[in-house]
Amino acid sequence: MPAEEMGRVTDRMRFVFAASSLIFLAVLAISPFKDYRREWKQYKRSYLRFAQGRPDTKRLTADYSPDIDQIWLPGMNVVDRCTTCHQGITQASLSDKSVPQPFRAHPPIPHNVREWGCTICHRGQGPATEVAEAHESTLAWEQPALPTHFIQASCGTCHQSDLPQTPQLARGRQLLAKLNCQGCHKLLGIDRPAILGPDLSSIGTKVSGEWIYKWLKEPRTIVDKDGNVTVNGYETEEEPRMPKFRLSETELRALAAYLSIQKAQPLQPYKIPPAVVAAWSKNPELISQGELRFRQMFCSTCHSLAVTRAGETKLIGGDIGPELTKAGSKVNPDWLITWLRDPQSYLPHTRMPRYGWSDEDLYKVTQYITTKLVDSDLLTNVPKLDPPTDTEVQMGRRLFTEKGCASCHAMEGVSPQKDFGPDLSALGGKNASELEFGAARIPHNLLSYIQAKLQDPVSVNPAARMPQYNWSQTDLEAVTTALLSLKGAPSTSALQNLVVPRKEVSFHPTGSFAEVYERYKCYTCHKFNGYGGDLAPELTYEGSRAQRQWLVEFLKSPQTLRPTLILRMPQLNVSNKDAATLADYLSLVMQHPAVNPTATDGKQFTPAMAALGKQLYEVKYQCQSCHTIGGSGGYVGPNLNNAGGWLTPAWIEAWLKNPQALVSDSIEPRRNFTDEEIKALTAYLMTLHAGIKPQKTASILNSHAVGQGVGR
Amino acid sequence: MRTLNLIAGAALATAILCTVSGCKGHAEAASTDPLLASYDAEPDWSDSTKVIPLGYQQAQGKRVFYQYCVWCHADATPAGPSNRSNLTPVAPLLNDGATLNTESDEFMQNIITLGGSAMGKSAMMPPYGRTLSAEEIRTVIAFARAIAQPPYQPPGRPGSQYSAK
Repeated sequence: MPAEEMGRVTDRMRFVFAASSLIFLAVLAISPFKDYRREWKQYKRSYLRFAQGRPDTKRLTADYSPDIDQIWLPGMNVVDRCTTCHQGITQASLSDKSVPQPFRAHPPIPHNVREWGCTICHRGQGPATEVAEAHESTLAWEQPALPTHFIQASCGTCHQSDLPQTPQLARGRQLLAKLNCQGCHKLLGIDRPAILGPDLSSIGTKVSGEWIYKWLKEPRTIVDKDGNVTVNGYETEEEPRMPKFRLSETELRALAAYLSIQKAQPLQPYKIPPAVVAAWSKNPELISQGELRFRQMFCSTCHSLAVTRAGETKLIGGDIGPELTKAGSKVNPDWLITWLRDPQSYLPHTRMPRYGWSDEDLYKVTQYITTKLVDSDLLTNVPKLDPPTDTEVQMGRRLFTEKGCASCHAMEGVSPQKDFGPDLSALGGKNASELEFGAARIPHNLLSYIQAKLQDPVSVNPAARMPQYNWSQTDLEAVTTALLSLKGAPSTSALQNLVVPRKEVSFHPTGSFAEVYERYKCYTCHKFNGYGGDLAPELTYEGSRAQRQWLVEFLKSPQTLRPTLILRMPQLNVSNKDAATLADYLSLVMQHPAVNPTATDGKQFTPAMAALGKQLYEVKYQCQSCHTIGGSGGYVGPNLNNAGGWLTPAWIEAWLKNPQALVSDSIEPRRNFTDEEIKALTAYLMTLHAGIKPQKTASILNSHAVGQGVGR
Repeated sequence: MRTLNLIAGAALATAILCTVSGCKGHAEAASTDPLLASYDAEPDWSDSTKVIPLGYQQAQGKRVFYQYCVWCHADATPAGPSNRSNLTPVAPLLNDGATLNTESDEFMQNIITLGGSAMGKSAMMPPYGRTLSAEEIRTVIAFARAIAQPPYQPPGRPGSQYSAK
């Protein structure tokens, strides 16, 4: 460029200058335009437009501000801007499904959004102002919003006690305990009594090596005569406790050899008196009598049997004890007799009660089990096993700890490996980048990881030691929820304060009652002061409810006439002395503080009162829709045929006033009876005496499934 | 020279534009599975191959229903048999849309709270107003509406205007 042209402004330069100024102007204008178009601002404006179309515009827009809305709770690490877009979440009028998201109201829950924020439960990135960043997993934030279907996990992070509102979580926790996941994994906050597998120290006296081989290879399979699997107990919800281990032929043989020689406590067979055997062995009724006793004693309350009806095979019965369809082909008959007489002598921790047996019954029932509950084909696919060699036993012993058997099954002289499986205490809070996905072709997020691990551990890690469980979809979701709830120790003291610990209940009776209570394992099904199973009615206030004489008779002969009930009080053959001990303790100790069983004198009731009561029962209140008297009525509530011989008048009065005050989850509706009506109804019920055996478990509600739903 | 200037200008503009806008596309919202977005689910009583997703309120209603109501308002109960056949008149199934869809929420709330006799229906339906809270009763109605067959259409407001996914 010549020197004289320096500093001269040419047209071309003017043009370039003008053009770049314009470009800069345009660029500067883009910024406010972009800001105006930001996602959250669009939602703000569209909420205003939406609210204007609603009848209650004024209320909906009362708190409106065009800025970012933020819930800041420093103690809980909450900086949530979700309400910037989710502007209607506290507006009751926006709860209908027709309201478009993100404006729909939050369903009413016990926690207020201003006090809790959103991400404590829903996860996701609270401070984010874009939809994708708030809800999804990004490179900078790997905690995506939790799908609503698993949201109960968040309740469980703080509430270590089960809540009625979170059945899925409760079921998952129950499964973790039932399957004894703590045997191998650490699970923070799910410290509840695990249900261990049987002690195997003397397993050699119970079953053969061949049976062990079969069991380890294919736990619980019921095959019909054509070779088709009818009930795969291992795949049904009822019997999933023993999982399937992936064992090679050599490993199967080694473990079978090792286990079949375990006889820490040699079997001392009980000899059934020859006179009993002689009287019954040739009797053609022997087996059918045995089956009848098996039914009458209600073994099915705890044990299921496969039953085929209309071509469909199902397991019928309870799941407290093992399924028994092929028990006769499984156990040594001598062992069976010894076991039935005194289960605790073989397995001190078993929940099987010690029944009072007559030699005759013992013979009939064991003959029924070993003759009828059999499958001659059970062991057909099992190779002939030679007597155990030292090498096999050595290897079996090693495998017993290496495969994790020792984590669930006790074995004399063997201690389980410490920390056998990974610690899962903080699994639910893990980032996807902390997880090892291996070659698994699944989305890289925590939810998919947990479900893949549960369904097929090998798909994620080919060297996994975790055995194979077969989950129903419902159970898979429940366990996933329970695992997602485990987020480790709270990170701040404010969060620590939110933890609601699990209430531990226990019941430690003493004296002669304690012995009888332990012998019959009453707590397996009944609750005492909150402790125990939930299969049968709670007995905490039984002394206020039932008359002592009725208790004695019921304990000796707990018969019901209700054919619809499958799970009933077993016929334990309680001796007179034991029945008196139980009845005395229940009558004197297990009383409701407000219901003195002797307070109301039965003599005050007149026939006129009873007649009025009958009127009220049958016409005004139509109690017969749920209760049966004299063969007609419903069977939702207990049968009242013998109410006068069963209940105390004081209990009936208190019950009619407020059933839930006595049994908090009772479904008997609380009604607005007058005092006169209560007296009349009590008078009427006290006139009811049945010549038949007293009964009370005959309510369909005593079944275990109450309140759990039959849903998916 | 001119071309160079233009190219430089364009490059500068693009660079600034990119800085301001962030130069990125929007991630698409994931999860279209209605069950993942539901709190709970209930099998369709009249078609076992279908599952009905339930929201929080409906799911709470399901819980209350299966504790208190199922015994008379379903043909299968968690314990097996149903008490329905013992009642005269026979109680409607909870999913019986033909019967219940025409009843208003208010009527449903009242008959559960006050019992059948107070509403001119069978006294066999007891009052639950002193046992269940008003909110619990509302949840049961929400559950009934969710599982109704034929499906329930709320009155007054067309259901199709805003599709609920």
